[in-house]
Amino acid sequence: MDVFHGLLTGFEVAFSLNGLLFVLIGVTVGTIIGMIPGLGPITAIAVMIPITYGMDPAIALLLMAGVYYGAAYGGASSSILLNAPGTSEAVATTFDGYPMAKQGKAGKAMATAAIASFVGGTISIIFLTFLAPTLSKVAVSFGPPEYFALMLLGLTALSSLSEGSTIKALISATIGFMIATVGIDSQTGTARFTFGSAHLLEGIDFLVLALGLFALAEVTSLIIFRKEKIAESSKIGSLKLTKQDYKDIIPTMGRQSVLGFLIGVLPGAGGTIASFLAYVSEKKLSKNPNAFGKGEIRGIAAPEAANNAASGGAFVPLLSLGIPGSGTTAVMLGALMVLGIQPGPLLMADHPDVFWGVIASMYIGNILLLVLNLPLIPYISKILRVPRPLLTSLVIVFCFIGVYGISFSTFDLFLLLGFGVLGYVMRLVHFPASPLLLAFILGGMMEQSFRQALTISNGSLSIFFTNPIACILIIISLASFLVPILKTVRKKTKVEQTMDM
Amino acid sequence: MLNTTNKKMAVVLLVISIIYLIVSFRLPSYAYVPVDSDMVPIALGVLLFFLSIALYFIKDEKSEEKVKLPKEDLLAILIVIGFIVTYIFLLEIIGFILITALFIFFCSWFLGFKKFITNLIVSIVLPFAIYYMFIALQIQLPQGILPF
Amino acid sequence: MKKIAAILSLAFVMVISAACSGNTTTSDKAKTNGEWKPEKAIEITAPSGAGGGWDTTARMAAKVLNETKIINQSIGVVNKPGGGGAVGWAYIHSKKADPQRLFVTSPPMLLVPLNGQSQYDYEDFTPIANIIADYAAFAVKADAKWNNLNELFADMKKDPSSITIVGASSPGSMDHIQFVKIAKAAGVDITKLKYVSDQDGGGLTQILNGSADVYSTGVAETVEQVKAGKIKVLGVTSEERLKGDVLSDFPTAKEQGIDATFVNWRGFFGPPDMDKNALAYYEKKLKELSDSAEWAEIRQKYGWDEMYMDSAEYKDFLKKENNEIKTLLEELGLAK
Repeated sequence: MDVFHGLLTGFEVAFSLNGLLFVLIGVTVGTIIGMIPGLGPITAIAVMIPITYGMDPAIALLLMAGVYYGAAYGGASSSILLNAPGTSEAVATTFDGYPMAKQGKAGKAMATAAIASFVGGTISIIFLTFLAPTLSKVAVSFGPPEYFALMLLGLTALSSLSEGSTIKALISATIGFMIATVGIDSQTGTARFTFGSAHLLEGIDFLVLALGLFALAEVTSLIIFRKEKIAESSKIGSLKLTKQDYKDIIPTMGRQSVLGFLIGVLPGAGGTIASFLAYVSEKKLSKNPNAFGKGEIRGIAAPEAANNAASGGAFVPLLSLGIPGSGTTAVMLGALMVLGIQPGPLLMADHPDVFWGVIASMYIGNILLLVLNLPLIPYISKILRVPRPLLTSLVIVFCFIGVYGISFSTFDLFLLLGFGVLGYVMRLVHFPASPLLLAFILGGMMEQSFRQALTISNGSLSIFFTNPIACILIIISLASFLVPILKTVRKKTKVEQTMDM
Repeated sequence: MLNTTNKKMAVVLLVISIIYLIVSFRLPSYAYVPVDSDMVPIALGVLLFFLSIALYFIKDEKSEEKVKLPKEDLLAILIVIGFIVTYIFLLEIIGFILITALFIFFCSWFLGFKKFITNLIVSIVLPFAIYYMFIALQIQLPQGILPF
Repeated sequence: MKKIAAILSLAFVMVISAACSGNTTTSDKAKTNGEWKPEKAIEITAPSGAGGGWDTTARMAAKVLNETKIINQSIGVVNKPGGGGAVGWAYIHSKKADPQRLFVTSPPMLLVPLNGQSQYDYEDFTPIANIIADYAAFAVKADAKWNNLNELFADMKKDPSSITIVGASSPGSMDHIQFVKIAKAAGVDITKLKYVSDQDGGGLTQILNGSADVYSTGVAETVEQVKAGKIKVLGVTSEERLKGDVLSDFPTAKEQGIDATFVNWRGFFGPPDMDKNALAYYEKKLKELSDSAEWAEIRQKYGWDEMYMDSAEYKDFLKKENNEIKTLLEELGLAK
């Protein structure tokens, strides 16, 4: 079955009255779930499994797929409006989304997020449609040395997050990496820095860290300014993007969708890493990197395009190889199994209707999401009109549910409070928080792949250099690390600027 | 000697790096891998150790300013932290709906929200709505002492 | 004035509710002699996050038990992730003798405590019934030079450092121990095994791109890959050959002359010191579940095997399993 014939069959399934209805239900439920803290795509799909049991598999899948990307979509609003990311994929969106909302441009920020998500999603589906079999080779081309090199390259992007004092940024990053070492070490089974607590054995959840460092720390400034009557930030502003805005974000969305998609294809990497790498690489490419972190529109477009593209990319290994590359796609695999479909290399041949049905539903779902979300923005943004004192308590409750919904443990709530205090102290003493988060998400994987590679090579470092992809990535990392240093050495008199995050 | 924020932070970080290093060196060894679980932590500890020494000596105008925080605000923050701690302690005992309602009501009231009726409505309706939304998705939040 | 009214009304709500809940608990405890029936909603804990094996089993069992009216009380699933199960177990243990609370568990119930990562072990709870079983499979790339376990183990004895085994979990946990158990029975020096752990589908990826050589996983994960000719399964750990399309082609370790098996059992446990009548009730109901056509269909979809054991059998089985695993971990120096 060729691509067009396949797509046609897919659209036939999805365009039936039932099909459309269930995609619509799916994206609506998904969007709501995505906005509620503590409920991300994983939970959304897991709870859908018993509900869809016994339904026509093709229809059930449309519903499930709708919930999946609906949930991925919904996460951005709380990042922008409250500085409180609802999902880990939406953490990078806070960097510029919240500053924009504070400047009274919440409407524009939300519209940008919706458009970038749509573009990222659509580009990734086009790739998925035409290149899935080819790209499945990319998905399995990365072994431990390549992952190590990729994470190393990502970490060199730290330099772009470290305006102001480089030493402070490095300290933040080191602490982030240290937090990532908490828990059972996968390669040896040794419990590290858990101090005998079972709650720490599986490590610290990224969302707990991010909600503490950003949302709770922000609560303190809400408290300090609690008496201000109507602040600038309660304005929502126009949703419309200017021509210049479009000029700015179109190239950004294009390249970051491709990057996000490719990272999504790699098992184990996923949307969170994609959104961070998109943000830092966009900042590096920008002519005016200082605008980032202060409400730069591209700083929203980049992570949102990338994380949605990554969620499409994750379907490549799942549908073409039967390899779930993330927690979410692992649950998706379980869902397919219940429907009597065993994802694997033969899925496209054995169940073309399923494969193309899912893809067709993604096209429709993406359009529905945009149509559904844009008109909702003014209503959702009304949360900013809520008086400060009430808003403050609601943000705190949002964080509570966000954390409790993941771990169901009050221990993690204390952890959240601890990170909130840490985030506040870091603000007071001008330590940037974003390097900490970047090192946290890349560090764990970097350490594990480094040691996996060395176990395989029986301890010989040559494994990183005999391997072409790894070797090239390591050379690029070293170059991108050393070149800026050489540059700064040349023009020693550069005014230091601090990134206020 | 500790006249700037940077210098104070440097000392705190130095202490953290030393504690982290001590714990790292005490990690049990595992015989079957070439690179054991303590290698990366030791490297990180040493890195932080030297970075904090470097921090002690750098000059950074922005941080030379003294950190100022009105006593009144600090007190407000501490009281909200008190509310948070109470919430965490009572969540699994008296249940999600009740503690969340109490938290929203009293925290907003404390921070200066004067509209009691609105406050009361929000603090009762919202926890119920969230609780039943989770129930609809087959996820149980702590029920506590409420009979439903 | 309004302020006071508001506070009063809240206090009122609190008192009323406290009183109500007090009533339910007393009426609950009154019925302990003879027939036992759940008085309120039953809570099944999955000591993991949404979507894992425990969670799936719990949600599916809850669904079938309710829909087939085997149990009429509503059944809710509670997730208590953390510590590979340890957090969930501590939670159940804190709810001493509440017969409305069950949990789903499997070999990590033995492995995690033996690794020193949980203060409670299987003896601290009441095993109710086992319902399903799954088995391990050891797979290699389709064009690998080994065609059966004996060839693989022969090479491993010659040069253990040349062969990498990959699994999803860390050393001392299931994917590692299931391989160690079979390898030891085949006479391989288990202290020389080269094992790498990789999550999120990384294990299969590593086999396909040649980073690692042997993939230690569950049988279900291999079926589609074998059908597509990407990998081959050298051996499975069941007693006899499995039934099913591709499954029946997988040779067992036993038929290759290696006298060892490994069962990934999964069943229901209750809190410590569970009431005898309650235990009998659940045993009966879970037997009905295991025998139902609806459950058989779910088993088949997930590729699970039927394996019912009542409480007494279950206890003996667990004791035997626990001793075997303990010996292996001690030899590896991992037992705490």
